[in-house]
Formats: sequence, structure tokens, C-alpha cells
Amino acid sequence: MKWYQTSKPAVLLIPALLFLLLIVYSLVMAFAESIRSPEGWTWAYYGELFMQRRLIESLGYSLSITFVSVFLSVLIGWAVVRWFYSFIDEPGGKWLVWIPMLFPHFVWGYFVLLLLGQSGLISSFFYQAGWLSSREAFPVLTQDAYGVGIIITYLWKEIPFVILMLLPAYLQLPKQYGEVIAVLGGGRKEWFKTVEWPWVQPVIVEITLILTAFIFTAYEVPALLGISYPQMTAVLAYDWFYGAAWEERSYAFGLLCLIAFILGAIALLSFALMNRRRWLLSKSSHQY
Amino acid sequence: MKKWIFYGSAFLLFFIPAILLIVKSFTPVWRWGEPFTFDWTLRGWETFLMDARIFDAMAISLVIALVVTFLNLFTGIPAGKALSHSEFRGKSALEVLLVLPLFLPAMAAAVGLHITMIRLGLANNWLGVAIVHLVPTIPYTIKVMKSGYDRLNPDMLQQGKMLGAGGWHVFRTIELPMLMPSIRSAVFLTVTISMSQYVLTAIIGGGNVITLPIIYYPFLQSVDDTVMAAFSVAFAILPVLAVLFVELVATVLTGRFSISKRGAL
Repeated sequence: MKWYQTSKPAVLLIPALLFLLLIVYSLVMAFAESIRSPEGWTWAYYGELFMQRRLIESLGYSLSITFVSVFLSVLIGWAVVRWFYSFIDEPGGKWLVWIPMLFPHFVWGYFVLLLLGQSGLISSFFYQAGWLSSREAFPVLTQDAYGVGIIITYLWKEIPFVILMLLPAYLQLPKQYGEVIAVLGGGRKEWFKTVEWPWVQPVIVEITLILTAFIFTAYEVPALLGISYPQMTAVLAYDWFYGAAWEERSYAFGLLCLIAFILGAIALLSFALMNRRRWLLSKSSHQY
Repeated sequence: MKKWIFYGSAFLLFFIPAILLIVKSFTPVWRWGEPFTFDWTLRGWETFLMDARIFDAMAISLVIALVVTFLNLFTGIPAGKALSHSEFRGKSALEVLLVLPLFLPAMAAAVGLHITMIRLGLANNWLGVAIVHLVPTIPYTIKVMKSGYDRLNPDMLQQGKMLGAGGWHVFRTIELPMLMPSIRSAVFLTVTISMSQYVLTAIIGGGNVITLPIIYYPFLQSVDDTVMAAFSVAFAILPVLAVLFVELVATVLTGRFSISKRGAL
């Protein structure tokens, strides 16, 4: 008896399909720009792209910052949810975790600058307390060569995100299996292996993919807390996009397309591998 | 003990920073190495609210955020319903495709749309900016609305129809009230994400669409931490205002606004 569902899904999906069309169109256009030269179509820019020292350095810098930020946010956020999920679900707990979500990334970046910069509040406080001889004695934590400030900002913003994404999965853990495992003589290790991990794995993979794509290609935070060389990929792409030379514009398009292609392939592959557990993902999809 | 650790660290790491920004917005500039002074002042907020440029930017940011929110709900609510309450071929593939934009660089979409936007006259225009803000928001709204519909039993909607209600009536009186928590989350996320866009706005707006982030960015290097703190706090207040606005619209739509009508039901 499904007559009431004949309000056809196709009609309901029209706006969403138009949105998909917009995305596909934008990527195709970006790709077309990356292979268009004044003399016609060419792949040359992709070849030249990898001879740019700026890009090579940028990739290493971006990858390491992305890896550290994503790994630590997921790990810490996951640990917090595992240990504290019953308190986070309380109105007060949820409210606290939501606070950093309210602020844009660059505002939080400004806050990190205000707090941890060499002329920041902590440095000033230490000086007044007599623990610091001068401004320069305070460690360089922002606009530093290793991207420490960028990583701190991302951790501060993304750990709450990880917590809020993982929370529904943990609240809905099928606890009744715990008894089955106990009866069969299993311990906490079996519980983790057979119930908890299969249950939360799709969500963890999804969060990891979202954060990797976001941090690797976001402009706002590294533009504020990074240094002028090396730059993170988005900052470089932005510079190139507004560059005076034709090649630079093409490099910007090429670089963004290449990243989109690689990240898209990784995402699709991960989803294909998880396909058998898809129903789990949809079950635990995120209620904020 | 566990509870104490959680609340203690969440308070310190999440609540104190927000309080610190609020306090900073009401205190004079703190110069490095000089004692922190608490001579309360409204100067930060006055500068922020009196500057005509900032005021215009706030208005245009809110207009963009509300248009983006409307388009998000217009797309996300029906899509969430279709993905949750019906079965069709290729559904799981479509679900993956609809979240895929979250795994791609939004900037690639923005630069790809740029030339088309110029041709259509949407570049340097707030509507073009609103369209590009859909890229990082719609996937979230679809996800949130789908899980909202997952928790809503289709039989309830059927019951409304059997009692003779039309589709719009069912939506207004059953779906909307029951979906309110999801709609609230979706609105919150959408407005916050829209308010967080610097680079997408800069590319499509081309320096002509001056939203709050576009003004905030050059300000970041300024030493006037009082004004900067007020500016920062405003970013967190605007999503709250937007949610209240949507809440009001929903109240009017569901007809709970007028008590007489409720009595009649």
C-alpha cells in the first residue's frame, strides 16, 4: 500500500537535481578553462604546473597541515564522544559544544591571533606577571613557518564539529548486543570490533573526508594565520587566479581541478567500498 | 568525576573564549605589556553599528543569508522527503552524489562559475553570490532534512490525507511542526556557513558585493581589538537572529500564531 507515496520522488528531487547540475557545470567549466590557451586546447598547463616550485612546496606544506589537523581533530573528537557522550547529550553540554560552531573560521582565527600571537593577550599577561622578558621571548605560534596557528585554529573549530557529527551514532549504539557479547564470553575488545567500530566507521570515514577536503582547500584561515611562503593550496590558487599572466590563471584552474578530481575519486572509492554498510550510514545520519 | 572533566574543559575551551570576546568588545584597547583595563566602553559597538559601510554590509549579508536559507529549504525539504520516504533505482548513488560537493574544493566551483556569471550579469551581483553560497550549504541541508524525515513516520502523513487534508495542509500542520528541530539545525548551519564565506564572495562578488566578511578581512590587521571583538561577536549573533526570523515564519505558517484558529482546530 504505497499509493500515498505517488507524490513522485522525481518531482521532489527536481531542485536537488538542478543543484547537482550546477555543480557538474561549474566543474566542467573550470576544467575547460584549465585546458584552454590562446592557441586552442592544450594539456600543457598541467605539465607546467608541476614544474612550479611554489606548488611543490605548497603541496608538502598543505598536506602536512591537513594531515595533522584532520588526524588530531578526528582522534580527539572521537575520544571525547566515546567517554562523555551521555553528558554531551544534555542540553548544557550540547550548548557548550555548539559555541565554536557559531563563529566563522576566520573569526576564530582572529581569536587565536588575539590570544596566542606574540603581541597577544597571553604574551602580554606573562610579561605583566614577570614571566617573560620581552615580546620576542614568546614563542611564534601564529603566522609561523610550521602552520602551528593554522592547526590550532582548525583543531579548536573541528573538534566540536566531529563531536556533533559522531554524537547521534553513539547515542544510537545498539547496546543490546553488549549482552549477547557478554553471554558469549566476549570482552570490551569484541564489543569494539563487532559492534562499535562497524557502527561508527562510516561516520568516521565521512567526517575524515569532509575535513580533509575542507582544510586542504580552505582559503580563509591560512590567509590569516599563514606566512607568505610556502602558501596553502587555496591561497596559491587565489593568487594565481588573480595573477596578471594567462598561464597563472590556467594554473589556478588546473590546480583546483586536479584537487577536485583526486578528492572526488577518493570519496567515491570510499563510498563504493562502504556500500554494503550504506544502510548504517543513513541510520546514523547526523541530527544536530 | 567524568562529568566534571567534560564540563570543566568544555567551559574553559568553548565558553570562556566567547565570553572573552564579549568582554573585549566592551573594554578599551589593551596595549601589549600594559595592565588589562576594565573601564567599560561602548565605543567598539558604536563604531561597529554607526559605520554606514558596516551597516550596509550587515544588511546585504543578511539578505544573502536569508535567500540562501530559503533556497536550501526549498531544495532540502523535498529532497530529504524523497530520499527518506521513497524507494527508487539509484537512490543510494544519488545520495552519495548529493553530498559529494562537501568532499570537493568549493573554490573550484566558484572559479568555474565565474565566467558564466559574468555572461549572465550575475557576477558582481548579490544574487550570484547567493547562488555560489549554495555549493557548501545544500549538501548539509539535504542530509539534515533526510534524517528529519527518517524520524517522521509516513503513516502520520497518510492519516492526515485520509482525513481529507490536501498536500499543503498536511505539510503545514503535520510535517512542518514535526520537522522543526531539523529545520532549525539546517537554518543555523546554512546561515553560519553563508556568513563564513570570504573567498567565494570575493571571487563572484568581485569586490562589489560587500558582505561582512569582505570588510572584516582587511580589518583583521588593525590593532583596535575593541572594534574587532565587537565585529567578531556580531558574526555569532546574526545566525541566532536568522533562526528567530525563520521560527517566526514557521509559527505563522503552521497557524499556531493565532489562538482563535487553534481553538477552531
